[in-house]
Amino acid sequence: MNDNILEIENLHVRFSTFDGLFSAVNNVSLNLGYNESIGIIGESGCGKSTLAFTVMRYLATNAQVEGAIRFKGINLLENSEKEMESVRGNRIAMVFQNPYSSLNPSLTIGFQLDEVGMHHQKLSKSQARKATIEALEMMNLGDPKGIVRRYPHQVSGGIQQRICIAMALLCKPDLMILDEPTTALDVTTEAVILDSIAELRDTLKMSMIYISHDIGVINKVSENIVVMYSGEIVESGPKKQIFENPVHPYTRALINCMPRGGVVKEKTKLNTIAGYVKRRGVDEGGCPFADRCDKKNDTCISKYGTKKIGEHHYAACDRAYAEDIPDKLKVRITPIARKKDPDFDSERDLLKVEDLHKIYGNKRKVYAVNGIEFSVKPHSILGIVGESGCGKSTTGHMISGLFPPSKGRIIFGDTDISIGWNKRDKETLKNIQLIFQNPGRSLNPSHTVEKIIGRTMQKLANINNAKERREKIIDILRKVDLGKEYLEKKPRQLSGGEQQRVAIARSLSISPSLIVCDEPTSALDVSVQASVLNLLNDLQVDTHVAYLFISHDLNVINYLSDYIMVMYAGKIAEYGKRDEVMENSHHPYTEALLSAVPEVDPTKQKDIIELEGMLPDPAKKIKGCPFAGRCHKQVGEICVKEYPPMVQLTEDHYYFCHIKP
Amino acid sequence: MKRLMEMFLRRLGSLLATLVVMSFVIFLLVEIMPGDVAQMILGQSATEEAVAALREARGLNDPLLERYGRWISGVVVGDLGDSIYMQGVSINSILWRKVGHSIILAMTAFIIFVPLSIFFGVLAGVKEKKPTDSIISFFGLATMALPEFVSGVILITVFAVQLKWFPIVSVIPIGESIWQNLNIVVLPALSITLVMFGYISRMQRSSMISVMNSDYIRAATLKGMPRRYVIFRHALKNAMLPTITIIGMNMGWLFGGLVVVETLFGFPGMGSLLMTAIKTRDVPLIEACVLLITVIYSVSTMITDIMYSYLNPRIRYQGGQK
Ligand code: SF4
Ligand code: SF4
Repeated sequence: MNDNILEIENLHVRFSTFDGLFSAVNNVSLNLGYNESIGIIGESGCGKSTLAFTVMRYLATNAQVEGAIRFKGINLLENSEKEMESVRGNRIAMVFQNPYSSLNPSLTIGFQLDEVGMHHQKLSKSQARKATIEALEMMNLGDPKGIVRRYPHQVSGGIQQRICIAMALLCKPDLMILDEPTTALDVTTEAVILDSIAELRDTLKMSMIYISHDIGVINKVSENIVVMYSGEIVESGPKKQIFENPVHPYTRALINCMPRGGVVKEKTKLNTIAGYVKRRGVDEGGCPFADRCDKKNDTCISKYGTKKIGEHHYAACDRAYAEDIPDKLKVRITPIARKKDPDFDSERDLLKVEDLHKIYGNKRKVYAVNGIEFSVKPHSILGIVGESGCGKSTTGHMISGLFPPSKGRIIFGDTDISIGWNKRDKETLKNIQLIFQNPGRSLNPSHTVEKIIGRTMQKLANINNAKERREKIIDILRKVDLGKEYLEKKPRQLSGGEQQRVAIARSLSISPSLIVCDEPTSALDVSVQASVLNLLNDLQVDTHVAYLFISHDLNVINYLSDYIMVMYAGKIAEYGKRDEVMENSHHPYTEALLSAVPEVDPTKQKDIIELEGMLPDPAKKIKGCPFAGRCHKQVGEICVKEYPPMVQLTEDHYYFCHIKP
Repeated sequence: MKRLMEMFLRRLGSLLATLVVMSFVIFLLVEIMPGDVAQMILGQSATEEAVAALREARGLNDPLLERYGRWISGVVVGDLGDSIYMQGVSINSILWRKVGHSIILAMTAFIIFVPLSIFFGVLAGVKEKKPTDSIISFFGLATMALPEFVSGVILITVFAVQLKWFPIVSVIPIGESIWQNLNIVVLPALSITLVMFGYISRMQRSSMISVMNSDYIRAATLKGMPRRYVIFRHALKNAMLPTITIIGMNMGWLFGGLVVVETLFGFPGMGSLLMTAIKTRDVPLIEACVLLITVIYSVSTMITDIMYSYLNPRIRYQGGQK
C-alpha cells in the first residue's frame, strides 16, 4: 500500500442534458495523503462540488463517470451500492453547506446522530447515544444531553453545523469532505467552527477535503490548495506557494479580485475577470480559461498541459512553460482619481436618523432596531456592517421607505421622511434609491431592460419623450459597462452580475442623491463582486452620489466605505471614519468581528476572539448592553444592568461600552 | 401539550364563528331561491287566499332576521324542523339514518383509497421516471379524468351487470338495516376511490419526489443509511404531511361528491336525500343537509390542522413560527 488515502485518476464526469453532453469534471487527477488536508477553491460552476459528490458516488442519473477514484486502494467507482453504503458516513463523511436543510426537520437531533453508530458500528441504542454525546462534546457543544432531545429548528445555525460535523465524526472517518460548511454562517460563528475543525484534525488525524470559494477560509484549515476552473484543476500546490507565486492567470485573478488585507478604494482598483464561466461541451479542448484570459496566445490550445512549477506546485497554463512571466507578481491597478466637488458642503448632513426603532409583529414582538442615531454625509459612503439579525437591513429598508419606522425620525435634507414610500413625495422617492441583494427578484421578469429603466425615469424623473429616454438609457448602460444590445434583453437572459448592473443603472438613471445598497454583492461570485464594487466606486467618484452600503462582509465594507457603522442586536456598537474603526477599534464586538475575518495571506495569521453563545432574544427588550451575553471583556454586573454610555473618541468616532479608552 | 390544547380551543372558537356565518349564508341562499314555499306545499291549484293563509301560519311573512332566529334557535337545540314535502315528518327522523348510511359509505371509501393512494404515490415517487412510476401515474391520471358518473357506470357494467357480484342499484329492502346489506356499499365506494385515487396519489408522488430530493435525504444517504431505511425513517413522515392536508381538505368535498355517486347508484344516503330535497324544494331539508355538510367540512379541516401540527414539530413547538 502506498501513502495516499485517496487517489483520483483522470476523472471525467459528464452530464447528458437536452442541450447535449457537457463536462462538469474534466480529467482531474488528485492525490490526498494520510492526515493531509487540501482545500479546493473555485467559483460557482467550477465543478468542485461535483467532484466531492463523485467521490461519495452520489450523482444524478444523467451523469457519466470515467476514470478511477481509489480510496485506500479500492476503486470506489467499481463498488456496488451496498459497498458504498458501508463507506459513506463510516470511512468517508461529508458535511454540507446548509446545515438547516441537511438535518431532517421531523426527527430529533439525537435520533439522527444515533442511527449512524447503530448502523455502521452495530451499536446498541444506549451505546450509540453515548457515542453521540461524546461527539457533540468534541465539537464543544455545551449541554449535549439537552441538545439530543431537541429538533433541528430549535437550535441556531452555528450549532446546527457543529451538530452536522459531530455527525460526520461519529465513526471516526478516515476522510472528511466539507463542502462550503461555513458559507451560510456569520463570520464570528465561522471563526469558531473553523477553529474546531483545525483542532479535530490534530486530535483525530484524519484526511480532509475542504471546498470553499474563499481563500481565507481554506488558509485556516488546509496546507495545500487546488484551484479549479470549469471542471479542471488549473493550479495546485502548498498554500504559501500558491499565494505568493500564483502562476495560472485564473489563480492570480481570483486572489486579486478579493477585497482583502486592508485594500481600500483610494489606492487599489480590484482585479476583475471579464466574461463568465461557460458550460463546456465534451470535445472542447485547450485551456478552459482561454475565453477570459488576457494572457492567451496561439499556443494556448496546442501546448496545453500540466507543468511543474516547483516542488508539489503544478499549473495548467501555457504561459507557465514560457519562463518569462514578467507580471508574476500581483498587479495593482490604480483607481481613477477622486476629485473634490467645488460646491460640496461637508457640514450639512444629507440624511439624519434620530432615535430610530422598528418593532415587528403585534403579539410576538421582534425588536429589530432599538433606537439608533447616525447621519450620512453627502458624497460619502457609509458602510453598515454586522451579522445576521443585527438590524442593518431593517435600517436600510426604513430609510428607503419600504416600511415606516415604529418610532423615531428620518430626516432627509430638510424634510422628515419617517413614513412609508407610498406617502413620500416624488422628489424624495427620486432622491433615495434602493438596490437589493437579489437583483433577479427586483427586476420585472417580463420587461426588457429598456422598459425597466425607462419606467422609473418616466415615473420619477418625468422624462416622457421616448427618444430622449432611450438615449439617456444607452448612456447610463454604458456607464455600467453594458452595451446597447442589452436594451432588448429580459432579466433572465442576464447573468447575476449583469442583472445587478441593470439594477444599479435603474437607480442611477434618475440621479438620486442617496442609494441604499442592501448586500448588493453577497449573491455574486468573487470576481463578479469585484466588478460590481469597482463599478459602484467609479460611479460614486463620477456622480458624487452617497451610498448607504449594507454588508456582512467586513472586507467589502472596508474597501468601499468612508465611514463605518458596526451594528449589533439593533444597536450601534461603533461608528467612525473607516480607518479609525478598522485600525483603532474600541468596541469589544468590533474587535471580535475584525479578528474573525479570515486572512487570505497565509503568512499573516492572527488570533481570533471566539464568541460563544447567541444573539440576545430579539423578542425581549434589553436593558443592558446587548453584547453582554457574549462579550469577552465584560466588566461586571453593570454591563447587564445598564445600557453603556456613548464614548466619543474624536469628532466622528464613537462607541457604546462601559470600558473607557 | 399545552400549546396543542390552546390551539385546539382557538380553532374551536373560529370554527363556531364560521358556522354562525355559514348558517346565515345558507339560510339566505335558500330564501332567495325562486318559488314560493307555501305555493309549493299547497300545489298549483291552491287559491290565493289559502296560500296567503299558509304563509301567515308558517310565519313566512315575518322579517328575514326573525325567521333566521327561529330556525337557528331550533337547530341549536337539535330541532331541524319538519320536512315540507313529506308533510309532518320531522327532519330528524329521516336525516340521521341517511347520514349514517353516507358515513358508512364515506368511511369505506376512505379506508380503501387513503392507504391505496398513499402507497402507490410513495411507490411512484421513489421510482421516479421508471416504468412503475409511469404506469401508476398514467392510471392515476386516467381515473382522475373520468367523472364519477362515467367511472360509476363502468363499475356497474363490469361488476353488477357482467359479473353480477354486486347489485346494480343500492337499495335497502324495507325493514332491513344497512348492516344486512353491506354489499351495496362496495360499488359506490369504489367509484369514489377511483376519483380520489388519481388526485391523492399524484399529490403523494410529487411530495415524495420533493422530499427525496431534499438536502436532508441527501445527507442521510451520504451518512451511509440504506435506501429503504432512508425512505421509511427519513422521507415518509415528511412526505405525508402535505398529503394529510389534502385528504383533510377533501373530506368535505368527499361528502359533496357523495351526492353524485349516491344519486347514480340510488344509494340511500344524505346525498340522494339532498338531491330529492332540492328537486322538491323542501326548504328546511335543504338547509339541514347543507348545514350538516358545512359542519363536516369545517370539523374535518380542523382535525387535519391539528394532526398536521402534531406531526410537524416545527409547528408543534413554536406555533408555526420559525
Ligand atoms: S493557457 Fe493560455 S489561455 Fe489558458 S490561462 Fe494560460 S495563458 Fe491563459
Ligand atoms: S458594555 Fe460591557 S458587555 Fe457591552 S461591550 Fe462593553 S464591556 Fe462588553
